[in-house]
Amino acid sequence: MNELRGKRGILAVIALLIIGIGFLSSLFELAGNVRPGVSQIYNSLAHLVAPNNIATWVYDWRGYDTLLETAVIYVGAVVSAMVIGRGVVQMKSCPQEPPAQSKPLEFHIETLTVILKYLGLPAAILLFSYGIMVVTASSTSGGGGFQCGVIMTAAYLLAAIFYGKNNPIRFGKRFIIGIGAAGLGGYTLLGLPGFLTTGFWQYNIGADVWGIAPSIMRFIFGEPFRLSLVLKEGVFFSSPGIIPLINVAEAFNVIGAIGLIYFAFIYGWQEE
Amino acid sequence: MTTIPSNLWSIPLIVAIPLLAAIVVNALYDKRAIRYISIISALLTLGISIISPYGYHWFTGHPAFDPTTFTFTFDPGIPGFRLSLEFFFGPMQQIMIVISSLILVFCVIMATSGLTKHQGPYLAMIFLLFASAAIIIMVNDLYHLWIAVEIGSLIVVGVVVGSGTSISHKAALKYAYFSAICGSGLAIALALLLGITGFPNVSDVVRVINIFGVGGMETILYISFGFFILSWMYAGGLAPLHPLKSEVYGASYPHATAVLQAQSKLMLVAIGIIMLRIFGTLPFVKEVMIFLSIITMMLGVVIALLQIDFRWIIAYLIISHSGLVTLGIALGTKEGIIGGIFQAVNDIIYMSVLLFCCEALYYFGGATSTRGSFGIAKKSPWLCAAVLLGAFAASGIPPFNGFQSEIILIQASINAGFPEIAVIILMVSVTTLIALLRAIYRIFLKPPENEVAANAQIPKSITIGTWLFIILTIIIGVYPDIALRFIVPFVEGGFLP
Repeated sequence: MNELRGKRGILAVIALLIIGIGFLSSLFELAGNVRPGVSQIYNSLAHLVAPNNIATWVYDWRGYDTLLETAVIYVGAVVSAMVIGRGVVQMKSCPQEPPAQSKPLEFHIETLTVILKYLGLPAAILLFSYGIMVVTASSTSGGGGFQCGVIMTAAYLLAAIFYGKNNPIRFGKRFIIGIGAAGLGGYTLLGLPGFLTTGFWQYNIGADVWGIAPSIMRFIFGEPFRLSLVLKEGVFFSSPGIIPLINVAEAFNVIGAIGLIYFAFIYGWQEE
Repeated sequence: MTTIPSNLWSIPLIVAIPLLAAIVVNALYDKRAIRYISIISALLTLGISIISPYGYHWFTGHPAFDPTTFTFTFDPGIPGFRLSLEFFFGPMQQIMIVISSLILVFCVIMATSGLTKHQGPYLAMIFLLFASAAIIIMVNDLYHLWIAVEIGSLIVVGVVVGSGTSISHKAALKYAYFSAICGSGLAIALALLLGITGFPNVSDVVRVINIFGVGGMETILYISFGFFILSWMYAGGLAPLHPLKSEVYGASYPHATAVLQAQSKLMLVAIGIIMLRIFGTLPFVKEVMIFLSIITMMLGVVIALLQIDFRWIIAYLIISHSGLVTLGIALGTKEGIIGGIFQAVNDIIYMSVLLFCCEALYYFGGATSTRGSFGIAKKSPWLCAAVLLGAFAASGIPPFNGFQSEIILIQASINAGFPEIAVIILMVSVTTLIALLRAIYRIFLKPPENEVAANAQIPKSITIGTWLFIILTIIIGVYPDIALRFIVPFVEGGFLP
């Protein structure tokens, strides 16, 4: 960062100070004065979808936002891999400098302790199982597709660190790219059923809060995920609808995205 | 009751088709099918944006809450608080998206025919770049605006990195580094607005501020404006952050720069109008925006004069002309905003002409340096004619489109009480012509001193694309109403129905 030395550096520090002071003073002024606005309406309706309000916020009310945020993760991974050489293009008609190619990391697994050597694989398998549990219980707990994806790719990285390149859960690059594409593509296409039946993209036809989805669609996307809440006042039913499916798609996307970054940095990227 | 739909069919498709195309071509990586999928997807997007009616789309299908009757409604004509994420496709959005998708079509054809085979990720970035631009121009929600700017910045990095040179890597990583500051800045701005008003929808924010005020928290509104300005400068390449964007334009392949500059113009228009709607009544807001615009116009064109490569001259001229776009919006008058948006449309078109001509130079071995003289005019007279016409359009010479928007901007500046700004606009036009003619003379007209490929085969897609856009510059130049009939109702109708 030679550009930030000297006068430019001083200017950058002053700018950051101004930004920091402005931001902090705003927070102090806002304390106790925040208007609840739309959150009051969201909270009053959330119980109609899933017991977990956060899941409803993230994947229903703001589900299209979350799709784009999911795409950010996907794009981040694709761009990271491009930085180290995947998919770099050149003009056929005009020879340029050869594109950068990254070399694989060098692994030295001989120094691993016996405990780590023998407990690493069970730990990775346990992490995988935990990831599955997190994604399948996403409508009723604080977990979700993103957490599942992060946990599973942590297992993938753990296995690579413990056992080197020939570890037992070595995903191929086609598998990783495919699972990421299936995840983001699946999440995007989950908007179609609502679009085709109600005209609203990604309307949660399984939960059907506003009663505008055909009953057959409500049955197909709602019944498999139906939840009952047993209270002393009685038993209450609701369905998160397409939220569990979105969570699975999100998990696939995150596994593909973070897995691609790990893969590219561990194994390098050499074009065939 | 209103007849405007809240579930317009075309809006999700304009976003979902490029998104799905990006996923598929990235996964296919180097297969031949990439070419066909890309071209069909781009043509589909163009077709949908041409035939689409106007209206809203409330993603996830939740209705608006009407606080006067305490009921929920799917009618966008009733001013209820939006529970859903709202997009609007109107005449202004239509002309912007149609032109951007036309550029996308030619960009995709040029890329698939002219680049080496591992095109999947690169084309994925091009599609996502278009999608982010379309989202930004249609979105009426602060949170989603931020996500679109955030993903847009990341995609810009991908497009530049895909060009594979050390210069492009440096430009991309620098741009990515600053996105951490400016993207976060926009997030803070919207968080502050959410805190003051409680709503992420732009129309709801404006309504709450106008009806209930901000409870003595004007300082927060100013700080939010400051962060907005930061992201505006970053996303659109305004001074003093212009080096980031000019490096991005200069380090990419020209066909990609055509899409990049379209995305920047759409960002400048969209964020500029949102800033006017939210902060426009605050003192000094328009003055700050005008000041930034003037600095950008002048710096861009002066630095363009100093460049020794045609690509970089165009890069800095794009920056300079971005200042023209923002100037019109910053004036805040109806005439000014019409001029600003019209300038954005024209700018996208004539800069694409120049960039496609620049792409053609790659088929002469990349003869873009003004230090050499290549005599391209003799080898390809049509290319020389095209680049000259593009230069005239960019310089605001009649009967090309640049003249029509610049004359509106000049009139708007004078009517707003800033005759000195009108002089600066004239100066920018003249300097643009000088910068371009200097390069054109060296590369095209001067007797050759350097060897280039004698029988370069320029793809038909470049020839057709260049002349199609030249025809557009002339048609809009002669009949400006063709474009203005999309822009005037948008501005005079208060931006959203």
